Amino acid sequence: MSWQDLVVIGPLVGAVVVAVLVLLVDLVRPGRTVPVVIVSVGGLAALAALVAATGAVPASAFGGAYSVDALTTYLDLLFVAIAALTIVFAPDYLAPRGLPLGEFATMLLFAMTGAMLIAASTDLLLLFLGLELMVLPGYMLAGYHKTDGFSTEGAIKYFLLGSFSSAIFLFGLAFVWGLTGTTRVAEVADALTRLPNGISAGLGMGLAFMTTGVAFKIAAVPFHYWTPDAYQGSPTPVTGYLSVGPKIGAFALVLRLFVETLGPLSEWWLPVMVVLAALTMTLGNLVALTEDNVKRMLAYSSIAHTGYMLVGLVAYAADPTGRVDGLSALLFYGVAYSFMNLGAFAVIAALQKRAGVTSALSTFAGLGRREPILAILMTLFLLSLTGIPPTAGFFAKASVILAAIEAGGPATILAVIAMLNAAAAAFYYLRVVVYMFMREPDDQQPVLKHGALLWGGLAVTSVLTVLLGLFPSALLEMAGTAAGTLLPH
Amino acid sequence: MGAWKYLLGTALLAGILLTPALIVMGPAGGSFDDALFVVLAALMLVSGLAVVTMRDIIRCGLAMIVCFLALAGIYGVAGSPLVAAAQVLVYVGAISVLVLFAIMLTQSKRAPSRLVFQTQAGPAAVLAVVIALMVTLTVTGTAWNEVAERMRVGASALAATLFADYVLPFEIVSVLLLMAVVGGVFLAKREERGS
Repeated sequence: MSWQDLVVIGPLVGAVVVAVLVLLVDLVRPGRTVPVVIVSVGGLAALAALVAATGAVPASAFGGAYSVDALTTYLDLLFVAIAALTIVFAPDYLAPRGLPLGEFATMLLFAMTGAMLIAASTDLLLLFLGLELMVLPGYMLAGYHKTDGFSTEGAIKYFLLGSFSSAIFLFGLAFVWGLTGTTRVAEVADALTRLPNGISAGLGMGLAFMTTGVAFKIAAVPFHYWTPDAYQGSPTPVTGYLSVGPKIGAFALVLRLFVETLGPLSEWWLPVMVVLAALTMTLGNLVALTEDNVKRMLAYSSIAHTGYMLVGLVAYAADPTGRVDGLSALLFYGVAYSFMNLGAFAVIAALQKRAGVTSALSTFAGLGRREPILAILMTLFLLSLTGIPPTAGFFAKASVILAAIEAGGPATILAVIAMLNAAAAAFYYLRVVVYMFMREPDDQQPVLKHGALLWGGLAVTSVLTVLLGLFPSALLEMAGTAAGTLLPH
Repeated sequence: MGAWKYLLGTALLAGILLTPALIVMGPAGGSFDDALFVVLAALMLVSGLAVVTMRDIIRCGLAMIVCFLALAGIYGVAGSPLVAAAQVLVYVGAISVLVLFAIMLTQSKRAPSRLVFQTQAGPAAVLAVVIALMVTLTVTGTAWNEVAERMRVGASALAATLFADYVLPFEIVSVLLLMAVVGGVFLAKREERGS
């Protein structure tokens, strides 16, 4: 390890430092919300500046195990934004239930560190450690409401299935290591291009195990069974985080692993991804249609969005000319989806400020009259999730589908399935809007007073949801540069 | 009566462990190391199965120690005595004792009369056997070029690899452990009254 190496991993060290600082602040002023928010959000702002400053020049450290490039910077900034927004949304939900913010923020920051490590890893062992560092705090956060049976149940299901999928994934990595004798991404990719005659049985098995493990993490059908229970049981701010943070992090893993490392084998994993994408979109949407609990509905909707993002991956792998349009569409989708989904969950969390309020659809009845601003914001997020112009969600879906059509082949079929699914999804998203503006509530519910932090976070997510829809070109360009770094050099 | 049961069980266990070893050394033409590996691997599988199927949680913990010891033996056979020693010190010595103490301090010894997951044990067992067969076939049917050779690794070579090539993973594990401690303490902490 040299000084140069330390400079390159600066953002990673910074993330750990912020997490420890939050822990220390909570030690000095136990149980206080304001100091934790100031330190964590301030620290994250400084971290974002550090990421942007150091990410301008591509660099590599630890003998090629850790790389900073345009993709790392793009994803890191997104992870920092997700963590900051989650911390901002959390106090309104946690405080009435007597749950502390200090440990919540610390865990979240550790998870963010793991996600940042995935984005920068060019070593299979580091990728796995990053994955574990990202998901382990997630299990704990899912069970954060210790006295709530649903929270514990969801956390245990999430923990067990998550641990098994990690083990399966690691088993697959061991197969690939056994055949190539190295864990460095570039060397593995190089060894895989020089395979004598197709893939051997061992490599096929390794590929199958890794695909299964990753499919669990991104919650692709048929590996999604943990999602609804974990999402419904978790405290709502945690659900919002789980639906974006670990998902985008796992997609970073997909990019580093399937595109960069296993790119030479794309003809083998492409058919599997096509089937996964088609199943994930369709089943996610169909089940979401039947759900009456908004959190559960959004859980299935997040599964469907995984499917749309997989379409971007397929569009890249199926493209005979090797354009990165599919990947940049995937990256754009990740940002758009993060902000609109975090916003939607923040509204649900805000409504649950009064302890005991459920996330059933009837909670939203008459919200348009009771709290018009919140209802309008929720409508915006739901329209964006549906994919109605001029929101971010529209451009995200459009760019994924366009990339798939241009790629041709199996991607064209997926484009058609994606469009049909987007139309079907409108029904369940807009049903919430109908409840908010056209249904009378069964009983009088008091108007809640929400904190300034929540309004601030909602302002950021809603403005970004609109801005990314009106002016998507700047972010699309960034996503294109980021995706370009994944191509073989 | 009880003594007979134990004798029979021991004989059965010895049979399970030694038969594959004799096959490896005899007809399969393997070396003594191969036979030792097979014995240790069989012991690990048997004790691992005992951990998840036995109902008395203390005995599960004891079976886990056997499992850890067998793994240490495998590390030794694979040519890494230092890792084997660390496995014994950390897992057999420290973690197992910790687990056993945690069980004795927190749990009543009586386990549920019927384990919950046993409702799906049949299909799961069939699936596990099928997957095990698939893995066996692929592992034996693949030409493993580089890592099939046993490497004898001394302490200094191990240290050079660990602290040069793999120093970042090594440090990341410490962050992982810090996170696990914070999370574990929060989940295990008793709720304070009146706050």
